Parts: sequence; C-alpha cells; structure tokens
Amino acid sequence: MTVFDVLLPAFVAGLILTGIHAYLGVHVVERGVIFVDLSLAQIAALGATIGYLFGFDVHSDRGYVFSLMFTFIGAAIFAFTRPRHSTRIPQEAIIGIVYAVATAGSVLAMSKATRETEHLKEMLIGNVLSVTWNELGHIALLYAAVGAFHWFFRKRFLLISMHEDDAVRQGISIRFWDFLFYMSFGFVVTSSVAIAGVLLVFSFLIVPSVSAMLFTDRLGPRLAIGWSMGAIVSAVGVYLSFVLDLPTGATIVATFGVALLLLAAVRPLVRRRRA
Amino acid sequence: MRKTIFLCLIVLAAAPIGGAAPIRVVTSLQDLASIADSVGGERVETFSLAKGYQDPHFVEPKPSFVLRLSRADLLIVAGLDMEIGYLPPLLDQSRNGKIRPGNAGYLDASTGCEILERPRGIVTRAMGDVHPFGNPHYWLGPGNGRVIARAIAARLSQLDPPGASEYRANLARFEGRLAEGEKRWDAALGPFAGTEVVTYHNSWPNFLKRFRLVAAGFVEPKPGIPPAPAHVVQLVNLMKQRKVPVILMEPYFDERTPKTIAGRTGARLLTFIPSVGGVKAASDYVALFDHDVKVLADALRVATRP
Repeated sequence: MTVFDVLLPAFVAGLILTGIHAYLGVHVVERGVIFVDLSLAQIAALGATIGYLFGFDVHSDRGYVFSLMFTFIGAAIFAFTRPRHSTRIPQEAIIGIVYAVATAGSVLAMSKATRETEHLKEMLIGNVLSVTWNELGHIALLYAAVGAFHWFFRKRFLLISMHEDDAVRQGISIRFWDFLFYMSFGFVVTSSVAIAGVLLVFSFLIVPSVSAMLFTDRLGPRLAIGWSMGAIVSAVGVYLSFVLDLPTGATIVATFGVALLLLAAVRPLVRRRRA
Repeated sequence: MRKTIFLCLIVLAAAPIGGAAPIRVVTSLQDLASIADSVGGERVETFSLAKGYQDPHFVEPKPSFVLRLSRADLLIVAGLDMEIGYLPPLLDQSRNGKIRPGNAGYLDASTGCEILERPRGIVTRAMGDVHPFGNPHYWLGPGNGRVIARAIAARLSQLDPPGASEYRANLARFEGRLAEGEKRWDAALGPFAGTEVVTYHNSWPNFLKRFRLVAAGFVEPKPGIPPAPAHVVQLVNLMKQRKVPVILMEPYFDERTPKTIAGRTGARLLTFIPSVGGVKAASDYVALFDHDVKVLADALRVATRP
C-alpha cells in the first residue's frame, strides 16, 4: 500500500462533498441561514442518540432511520419559521435555538443511557481520513439523486432563495418548497457529517460560495469558481496533511481559510482589470 | 521535526518487506508499546497510536497512522471496546489482512488479564453506566502488565521464531523489574491500605484493588457529561463524612468540577497519569507506577499526619 492509496479516498471524498455542497452553499448564503447545517447535524445526532437509548446502534439501519426522522422534524421547523416581513426575529435566531436545544437534548439523553456513551460522540462524527470506498459510493449515489432533484426544480428553489418577493407574487407555496429544500439538505448534511465531520462539512458548504461571491454575482460562474476552489483545496489540504502529518479534516479546513484569504487578496487586481 | 517526519515516511514508504527488518508493532496505547519494547528489544520497532497524554478513548487519526497500520506485522490493542471510537475504520483503510482480528498479527492484550466489573446476566438501567465487556482500564494493575508481557512474548516468538530465546530473556528481565517495582510500591502504599479515595471517572479499579484502596465515589460517572447537582452534593457530604483525602484525575479531563469539590471538602486533587508518556517521568511501564505511587503516597502521608 502506498501513500497514494491512503490519501485517495480522502481526496475523492473532498470532490464529492464539493460537488453538492458548493451548490447548496449558494442557497444557504443567499438565504442567510449560515449555520443551518450545524443545526440540522445536531438534530440528526440527537436522533441517533435517542435511537441508541432505545437500543439501536448508531450505524444500524434503524439508528439511521431515527436520525433521519429527526432531521425531517428539523426541516419542518425551519420551513415553518421562515421569517416574514412583519417579524423582526431573524431565522438565524431560530437556527441557533434549535442547535442549543438539540445539543442539550443529546447530553440529557446520554446521561440517561445505561450503556457506555464515551464513544458515541466520536461514532456520530466521521473522519475524512478513514472513509471507505463503500461509503463513498453510497454518498455519491445519494448526492447524485439529491442533485438531480434540485436540477429538476432548480427554477423554484433558486427563485425562492434569491428573489423571495417574486416567488410570493407568483403564488408559490414557499413553506412547502422550503420544507423540500431543508429535507433534501438534511439528507445531504446528515450523511456528510457522518463521514467527514462537522467542521469540514461547514467549510465545504460556505467557503466556496463566499469565495465565488467575491468575484461574480452570476450563478454559473459562481458554481464554477466554487467547484474549482473546493477541488483544489481538497487536493492541497490532503497533500499538506500527509507532508506535515496532521489530522486531515482540520488541515483541509485551515487550507480553505488560507485559500479564501488569497482570493480576497487578488480580488482588487481582478476588479481593476475589469473596470 | 517536520523534515524528520517527512523523511521517516519516505523511508517507511521505501522499506522493503521481509528480510532482517525489525518486527513492526503498532499499539493503541503507549503502555502496550512500552511493554512490547521491553519484551521485543532490538528485534521490534513499536509505534503507539494514542500518546500517553491523550484520552485513549479517542485519537484524531493522521495519515501516518494508516501507513503504519498498513505495514504493521503485529497490532496490539487494549480491547474491551476501548478503541471502537477510531480504530475500526483505520483498520479497514489500512487493508492489512495480517493484523485483522482473528489473525496472528492481531493481539487483544486484555485476553487472560484480570478484568473487573464485567457485568453478569442481564444489564438493566438500575446498574448505571456499564461497560459491556468490563472495565477497560485494566493495564493499571501491575499484575495485568505481567500477563500482557507474557502474551506479547508468546506472540512475538510465534511471528519471529528465531528471536524466541531473546524474547524469553527479555521477558524474564521485565518480570524481574516489575517484581522489584511491586515491592517498592507495596512498601509505599501498604500503610494506607483501606483508605478511601474518589476518582474522577471509574478508570482505576485495577490500581485501587491491587494496592487495597477503596473507591468511595466518582466525580463524573460519565466523562463529558457534567454530574447532576444532587450527585455533587451527595459526593461532597460523603467525602466530608468519611474524610476522603484525595481525588484522583487523569490530566486530560476538565478540572473545574473536581476542583470545586476538592475546595469544599479539603481533599487534594491529584493528577494521576494513566499511561506511559503522560508525563516525562512516566517513561516506561514500571516508571509509570513509580510516578503514580509516589504522587499518591506523598499526598496520603500529608493527609494522615496527625
């Protein structure tokens, strides 16, 4: 076995994550619900913990059903608490509250478990270095399905994310489509966190999208920039984690940070040339 | 440092398999690596995934871990689900059939050891926090260190028959050192037999049993989950009533709660090192006990001074 064999799955995982997250990140940033993925991941973890309390192992099918059910409840909460113009409560507040309560709920559930819970947290949060080809095949299929779903209904989703007022005027049921959005989003985030961990998933979601917004407002170029950035950062991060022998996930996240700084630094040059 | 690691990895990547190369041993705990070093001597090369100052329940995997595992001849684990939080996926990733459970390259160090608190019969909620396979901190009893050393010597001889006599000699030397150590430790802690102590988590039953000390209670029955207020009150009262002199705690846990309890009861909070490498002084398996026994004996001597 060579170094290449060790690092390839992590790199491929980075590419797959980039594919779906850089796209979903555009929606998330447009809607201004930056921490929704952390909140949904925490709800999924609460579901898995409660499933564990009932005796279903974290990685069993029934355990998965538990975490998925909770994720859908979370999706419903976010769809129905979408702020209207009349209210001053921002949706990030609701997202934060859900995050805090779900985290507390997990702690309470673990304190009541008869079985040992020392490993539960680690088992819920994956590590990109130890991802298997099997898991990669699984999420590639799942994300392709979610991607196809979003491609099919892209006009609706994009209209609601980017021009909410127009969507209301056209009489689209925003709550229904929001529920579908958060449900599909929850599907993706739950699986991603299980293989790559919370920090990495958040970075893949937000950083490419924000970086692209430094340069363009149009959707096509934004996705192109986001995908390229995600792919390059995955390669560089995985390589650095090997050369410096550092934990792979955290190295990729730090690489994202540095890449964003570099892009922000070259931005004035690009803008000037255009003007 | 960086360069050294890089060079090491390159050497690792280039090293041919077989020949007169040392037996490559990977262990989950530094204690197991230390014992394997003592028994294997020059014929083995050990690498521990968890360092002594880390919580052995979870280790952040690095790329070098997978490489080490993929080239290992022998993997020694603590077992009893100790490594379940991180090792199984790394083992899958390494694609090294030799060190899979059931093969000669896989050694569960808990086999044959005295394992405490193994639940019998049906586990119910009334029993509280239960480890289904028993308490996994068993290497903290020196008797178990002897069992582990013998198992490692036997396994190394099986994997590397030409070295058998050397392993036997090394094992005898290790057992001799351990026996001498036990005399020292008995002498230091003997006067305090029967003393009640509180430990942070239930991770010292083998140590306490060996030196005839008694666990009066635990600060955090479940690590990471703050104790309920009623539990703290109960513990403080119990410690005052029975004059418990010390709280023992591993260095990697949060000391706020035990510090508060120590402040309210007048007990001393001692940092107890659970693994080789946890502090510089605990440089090998025998030195680990030398360190912990001294810390505890010194504190008990002060506490019981009239």
